[in-house]
Amino acid sequence: MDLQTEVLIIGGGATGAGISRDLALRGIPSLLVEKGDFTSGASGRNQGLLHSGARYAVNDPEAARECISENRILRRIAPHCIEDTGGLFVSLPEDGHEYRADFIRACAAAGIDTTPLSPGEALAMEPKLNPLVIGAVGVPDGAIDPFTLVVENVRDAEARGARFLLHTEVTDLICKDQRISGARVRDRVTGEEFAITASRIINATGAWANEILGLAGLSMGIALSKGSMLITNTRLSERVINRCRPPASGDIIVPNDTVSILGTTSLRAEDLESHEVTPEEVSFLVDELSRMIPAIKGERFTRAYAGIRPLVQSEQTHDDRDISRGFTLIDHQSRDGLEGLITITGGKLITYRLMAEKTVDFICERMGLDVPCLTHLQPLPGAGRGHTFQDRLLRLRHQTPAFRRELLCDCELVPRETVDAILREGKVRELQDILHRTRLAKGTCQGGFCVYRLLGVLNERRKEEGLGSSNRILTGFLEERWKGIRPVLWGTSLKEEELIESIYKGLFNLAPEATAPNEGGIP
Amino acid sequence: MKRWDLIVIGTGLAGLTAARTAVEMGAKVLVIGRGMGSLALFGNSIDVLGAIPPGADMETGVADWIAAHPDHPYARMGWPGISEALGAFRELFSPPYTFAPAGKGNSLIPTGAGTMRPTYLLPVTMTAGAGASAADTLIIGLRGFKDFQGDTVSLHLQCRGVNLSLPRYGLEGLSALALARLMDEAPFREGLGEAIRSQMAGERRIGLPAVLGLKAPADVLGTLETITRAKVFEIPMLPPSIPGTRVFHRFREFLIEKGATFLLGNPAISADLKGGLCEGITLQNPPLLTPYRAERYILATGRFLGGGLQADTEKISEPLFRLPVSQPESRGQWFRERFFQPEAHPVHRAGIVTDQELRPIDTRGRIILKNVRVAGSILAHHSMIEEHSHEGIAIATGYLAARRALAS
Repeated sequence: MDLQTEVLIIGGGATGAGISRDLALRGIPSLLVEKGDFTSGASGRNQGLLHSGARYAVNDPEAARECISENRILRRIAPHCIEDTGGLFVSLPEDGHEYRADFIRACAAAGIDTTPLSPGEALAMEPKLNPLVIGAVGVPDGAIDPFTLVVENVRDAEARGARFLLHTEVTDLICKDQRISGARVRDRVTGEEFAITASRIINATGAWANEILGLAGLSMGIALSKGSMLITNTRLSERVINRCRPPASGDIIVPNDTVSILGTTSLRAEDLESHEVTPEEVSFLVDELSRMIPAIKGERFTRAYAGIRPLVQSEQTHDDRDISRGFTLIDHQSRDGLEGLITITGGKLITYRLMAEKTVDFICERMGLDVPCLTHLQPLPGAGRGHTFQDRLLRLRHQTPAFRRELLCDCELVPRETVDAILREGKVRELQDILHRTRLAKGTCQGGFCVYRLLGVLNERRKEEGLGSSNRILTGFLEERWKGIRPVLWGTSLKEEELIESIYKGLFNLAPEATAPNEGGIP
Repeated sequence: MKRWDLIVIGTGLAGLTAARTAVEMGAKVLVIGRGMGSLALFGNSIDVLGAIPPGADMETGVADWIAAHPDHPYARMGWPGISEALGAFRELFSPPYTFAPAGKGNSLIPTGAGTMRPTYLLPVTMTAGAGASAADTLIIGLRGFKDFQGDTVSLHLQCRGVNLSLPRYGLEGLSALALARLMDEAPFREGLGEAIRSQMAGERRIGLPAVLGLKAPADVLGTLETITRAKVFEIPMLPPSIPGTRVFHRFREFLIEKGATFLLGNPAISADLKGGLCEGITLQNPPLLTPYRAERYILATGRFLGGGLQADTEKISEPLFRLPVSQPESRGQWFRERFFQPEAHPVHRAGIVTDQELRPIDTRGRIILKNVRVAGSILAHHSMIEEHSHEGIAIATGYLAARRALAS
């Protein structure tokens, strides 16, 4: 089944999804391929921070201006993906007052509103702050849900004719006379290979940019920087808490729904799949961030994870924080003489829309079209719909009693009906796709109970379709879960782990070699 | 202040076994615990050593295991001691609700994940599971009861499975405990039996989630077998565990009947240690702190889940007697890279090291507390989860600890 489109987008992160929507709003047909699920890369592995730009105000004023401008746009077009928490930059005795003064001036220059706060005011707003705090500054930071943001872009683009293929990887680029004419792709679930004909290809694969460029014998300078994060079991603060000092590791705490996300580290990564969080990184984050909120020392952590940032290199530098967090648009026609290929990489989650706008502006120019960008004006489709914990509770209350009573996940209140609806839609291919689209496995037990129940729901469908059982889904999930939970196993989370191991290895005697191969995954 | 012959700390299977053994020897016993312990979570059948192949001789199997694992808790008593302790356990459960091997040695029983687990002593409600086969078995799921997914089991066993809907009882969202209590009511189990019979297609065995009653499981089994004219068996499932709760209730009933004192819910928070002896322990009973004294003590507080062991970011400790814990050198070594691998994660082998008589010893082999014995999963040098030895270790060491304590 060969396909044809005008623009082929590679990569289903925020940038790719944003480009897809921007093209759709300007009436240009596109097809997006993603080798995993949406937000499998850095878009899904970040701190969920809606930057005000204040973090960059002193060191990178241009990035700061981009951030605050996009911050205001996203509040308008995607209010349902954002929790407007506000943010604080707190100074501790060892930070002194000097940086704080520079910081306030730099924010003003970048157009970021600040509210200077006394220690007493800061502690009244955030009682868990270190009582030794010497001052704080309020900024318009917030929390953002990247997955919803991406899915909303996709939903809007799809309604306007854009197409998407998940679990589909590009295996080759097809070139003719120094011009791109399409790509060969492979469905990673079925193994089926086919070609997609396209006039232009946008490489929006983030840290994977060189994997795609390599197919055309090209490359670019990208430094891979691993950032590790920890998720707490409770929400530590109402606002985003930043350390008021030059950007360093372990200086941001972002509230996220009922939990908080602590971050980050910045370590040079050798390979794209190096997502391992080491015990040293965990100890560093706990020690460093407990300076701002001492209760972190005794907090229970549900999971650790890491993302790979693609930092575009312009010159040799030793500290990855010195490399600009700005984005880069490369036209491979002028750079390498290969017509029709564009790479967009670098940047931050919060600038995804701007990156898409610049990319599509460039394409329009090349195509000789004069169509203005609309993405900064047109709200996303679900913009009227709340997504906070409170909204979820309200929705649950409105569901019929039978659904309310059959919750697959008791921690995060996920009714079976939610999963049934996703399965009926027929777009999910793997267990992780379902977990992405619900809050299953995101609570305290990290899926220890609900994934067994979810497997039962899947097996009921497999039985109807005459398929065999698939415990590979369960053992695969437990192995994947392990990556996130292993770094934080002490205290209460170690107790929980004894429970989970006793169930799956003890009571259920599960072992991966004892299970039959997965016959096609999700029915 | 009352002085006891023995205080048992911990109400899991090890602590209960120790208390019961001591009571039978005529001792005045105080049993204290936080709650029902791991029995209420995972207690189902009695696993002794999963490595012994089904049908093989247990005595030889255990002897071979001890030869290869000389530090293992089983090396303290060998098969003769294990078997004596298991015999005593079986005596506690008189007909019709009894425990016995399904054949010679270990047998395999189906679990809630559709896998087979090796186990040794089965309650009468699980015996028929040992012979389940694709051809003659029907698995019954209960629609809306989410902790047992019947289709997962039947697909894996490649047998027929049916999900029964019992709208009259509003099963959606019911807990295992609520279901078990419904089963204790004759009209409910008779109705269920009729519903199962209407779905049968010649099957001779019927597997159900392990919720066949709390008070009279043998009666539930009898009713269902009479109506369906098939062998009925329970399948272990996600916690909480009803069969384990039955075991807990039986021990508690026995201990109270024999005059032991049973204190649940108040944790022991500190111990008074002097000159190599424990002189007393303190229970937290807010707002009071109550001291209790005895001649002897048995520590059976379990592992991390039970609170017997605690882990901070640096090391593992035993919070009550501050006993040294044998453990890997650093946190980085507690767990292996993959969740599933042939060897247990090193942290699971951590625990308290004892002499032959289960007294805690230091690294030079010196006894730390002469009147304290240690029993159950808190002991070092086993990996009960992978070994499928949880109940066997609890019963054998709980029994031995009490016998040795009272002999001194």
